[in-house]
Amino acid sequence: MSVLQAVVKGLGSAVRKPRLAVILYVFNLGFAAAVLLPFFAVVQSELGHSFLGSNVRPVDVMWLGEAALKYGDAAPAVIGQALAAALLYFALSLFLNGGVVGRLLDREGRTTLEPFFADCGRYFWRFVRIFLVSLVFHVLAFAAVLNLLSALIRPATESAVTEWPRLILSNLHFLIALLLLSAVRMIVDYARIAVVADAEAKVLRALRHALKFLGKRFFRAWAVYLLLALLTVAGTAVFYVVLGRFAAPGVAGVAAGLAWMQAYVLFRAWMRTVFVAAQAEYYRAHPY
Amino acid sequence: MNIRKCARAVVGASLVLLAAAPFLAAQEPLATPGGPGLRYEIWVELDAAGKMLHGKEEIVWTNPTRDVVPDMLLHLYWNAFKNEDSAFMRESLAETMFRAGAAPGDGEWGWIDLTDIRLADGSDLKPGLQFVLPDGPETAGDQTVARILLPTPVQPGESVHLRLEFRSKVPRTVARSGYYKNSFFIGQWFPKPGVYEEGRGWNCHAYHMNSEFFADFADFVVHITVPEGFVVGATGKRTGAQADGSTGRKTLTFSQAMVHDFAWTADPRYLLIERDFIADREVTAQEYRETAELLGLPLEEVRLPNVKMILLIAPEHKSQIDRHFKALRAAIKYYGLWYGPYPYETVTMVDPPYRTGSGGMEYPTLFTAGTSVLASRKALSPEGVIVHEFGHGYWYGLVATNEFEAAWLDEGFNTYSTGQVLARAYGAGALPLRFKGFPLDWFLRLPRVFDFETDRAAAINVVRYDPVTAWSWKFYDQVSYAANVYMRAATLLRTLEAYLGEPAWPRIMRTYHTRFRFRHPTKDDFIGVVNEVSGRDMTWFFDTFFEGTETFDYGVASVSSVKVPARRRGVYDLDGSREEWTRKKAAEFEAARAKAPGGEAGKDAYLTTVVLRRYGEARLGGDASVRVLARFEDGSTETRTWDGQARWARLEFLKPVKAESAQVDPEGVWLIDANLANNSRGVDGLRRSVVKLMSQALFTVQCLLHFVGSWS
Repeated sequence: MSVLQAVVKGLGSAVRKPRLAVILYVFNLGFAAAVLLPFFAVVQSELGHSFLGSNVRPVDVMWLGEAALKYGDAAPAVIGQALAAALLYFALSLFLNGGVVGRLLDREGRTTLEPFFADCGRYFWRFVRIFLVSLVFHVLAFAAVLNLLSALIRPATESAVTEWPRLILSNLHFLIALLLLSAVRMIVDYARIAVVADAEAKVLRALRHALKFLGKRFFRAWAVYLLLALLTVAGTAVFYVVLGRFAAPGVAGVAAGLAWMQAYVLFRAWMRTVFVAAQAEYYRAHPY
Repeated sequence: MNIRKCARAVVGASLVLLAAAPFLAAQEPLATPGGPGLRYEIWVELDAAGKMLHGKEEIVWTNPTRDVVPDMLLHLYWNAFKNEDSAFMRESLAETMFRAGAAPGDGEWGWIDLTDIRLADGSDLKPGLQFVLPDGPETAGDQTVARILLPTPVQPGESVHLRLEFRSKVPRTVARSGYYKNSFFIGQWFPKPGVYEEGRGWNCHAYHMNSEFFADFADFVVHITVPEGFVVGATGKRTGAQADGSTGRKTLTFSQAMVHDFAWTADPRYLLIERDFIADREVTAQEYRETAELLGLPLEEVRLPNVKMILLIAPEHKSQIDRHFKALRAAIKYYGLWYGPYPYETVTMVDPPYRTGSGGMEYPTLFTAGTSVLASRKALSPEGVIVHEFGHGYWYGLVATNEFEAAWLDEGFNTYSTGQVLARAYGAGALPLRFKGFPLDWFLRLPRVFDFETDRAAAINVVRYDPVTAWSWKFYDQVSYAANVYMRAATLLRTLEAYLGEPAWPRIMRTYHTRFRFRHPTKDDFIGVVNEVSGRDMTWFFDTFFEGTETFDYGVASVSSVKVPARRRGVYDLDGSREEWTRKKAAEFEAARAKAPGGEAGKDAYLTTVVLRRYGEARLGGDASVRVLARFEDGSTETRTWDGQARWARLEFLKPVKAESAQVDPEGVWLIDANLANNSRGVDGLRRSVVKLMSQALFTVQCLLHFVGSWS
């Protein structure tokens, strides 16, 4: 199976199972709403009756200054809660991954809530273990490779007489970091697919399957991943370009803008299923 | 004779002559008649490889006071970078927020040594030289101020003529002076007397982390010797150039009268571009007329002169040359029109060499800007820094306030003025946010803001820490210093502008500037001008807002309207009898009224009650009051005033309709009010923008959650 075929087949699978994206979207929306509820109460009490509320902008420096004055002391508590929420959402995502991978690999299976959550429960601890093992890859990629790279480019930036070398090299460094991250994420994705596709209970064995699979076709598999990443970026670009057209004031403009934002969130959730579906297709098409 | 020896002898003789030249050529450099009571002539040679300066300096100081002066205090600023015992370094190291990079690395320290100091008659003053601690024992170890004991006290009107020799190690850039590779920015580099104040003695503070400078106006002639390939920019006008092929060096002479400092820069990579500010091209006849009318001045007094603009820019920023000149032209134009014509022939704008850390600094007739190879046009950078630093030529350069003791008098005035010029010339600028060197507004639609908005946001957050008028090194921390003297002072000046309005305010600023040009005014001088020109005693404003640390916040606590019943219930004595108006009777009365011909119902009355509160401790003074505007359902409005002295006030309005909203300070005069959200209160509770804002926040959180989820 070619790289392009894998992507096309993955898109097809994801299109056939849109309910998975909807489930992810609903969880995302509900969680975000719960996180924001206290802030909504604060903003409503501050601005709900004020003229300032009539023209406040998303980044309104005047009001942000006032908010910093009034709530600045609460910043540690807010940051703490944000971290706790992030951790909780991370665990939730790990849980939902089981359902997404499980349902996408079950070609004929339904995507109703019952089998979805059954898969979530079935694979949760295995996926947790894969995540823990993946920390080793993250450490290797970021602590070792990137630090080495930094040490290599440091002399060039430190002896520069213009800002160009620093600008170019730091962006190159960033690009390499992104590529490394994508490679690590891909390995984790294939390990999860191996757990489900090969009905593998042992995580390390699943990881070995994934690495063996990737060892034979690493760059093509990476191309699949990067192509999907590119699709996400392209979708994001389209989103922002279109969003700019909803800048006009008025109820219709505001409503259209909000609907478009939610459409984008749904797109992101759907792309997450596409990633899994395309890689699963590619994995199945190449028995190792 | 060996040719090599001969050549060496000739070079040696030349060096001796060169060393003696200052004393041969400048036999008696007297102060310019009618000019400042101070004159400098300096010969300085840059050893680019050794990062050293070798200098000779002549100072003629005339005692302008009625005091008999027995000594002289000299600033030796570069000793601030000598070791960690200097006041500057101690304060930097104690700073908790922005300490990183404060101290030089090993081998990168800077210092200045006075190797010889004599009177013109040859009397050696070095034995009497000692370091002093004008700012108290807490600065022990600091060597940035030296005292010279004069053999004969200087009588009023008499002059003293000093000849000094010094050598300095150029630091690896600290506090905007120093070197990076072959680039040099040389500021605060020569021994400089403090300012002698009658009855107070020498005003000569140590170099502190949070302080800038203070010096007397002087005439300068400076001869700078550098390697041949270096491009040099300096204060004033270039009046001479001499190349010495045998040594591969050149000497450039710069002269400038009536300035209080001299800075220079040298870098072989600079591109030097000169253009002219042609006043008649930049300012229309109508602009002159309107300005003259606004300021109440004859047309001739507002006309601007032409100015030679010099730009030294790094080659990689060549594409931004036009942007630099455009911003400078706007600054020369508006500062000139509003405060008075720029009085010097030249202005030199320096795009500081990479990593010299010397960007964004002012010196007389020369300033440093600062840009990036990837610069957004929407973010007004470098425009903002160009306008600001040129503006210091007015607020610091010409109106030479004491930056140690009253930093707000130059930084606050200039931050205010910068905002005005940028708003007039460019409008609002995008937030200057960057990622990995790329301006974010290339990818995102960042909000555009005016300077006064960001200034106010910072200002209200530091009121509780310090008064604006604190001495520079006595602020709570660096953030409090910066936000108070720059942003809060600017916000207060803008508040004062809105309060006093036109034409009083522009005339105040013009009068203050022109009256105190080439002088050292204080806060009281400015208050005097404000009171004189406005015809009102505004001293309370300065006492409350500049000296105070209390929050200023007036707001609307509640708005409510209730229908006034045609008959109130209860027991009433009428015509000798007692009657009770029951609920039923009152209702029947209302119903009968409504049915009555002639539309009695239309005569319903509503009592609107607006409760105002003074949430902060600070309060209005003098004859000031806050205006309160009530809006009603029929579109009518009613305005009242409140003196704002009590903690709260209740205003009542009897109208045939209910109220829609109430607002204090509807014209937005009191920009320093810490909470503008509570300044208005509408009866209806949910605003579309709040819903939109929260929906956008929801979207942002959703995206962040996606990001978090992508790591799982």
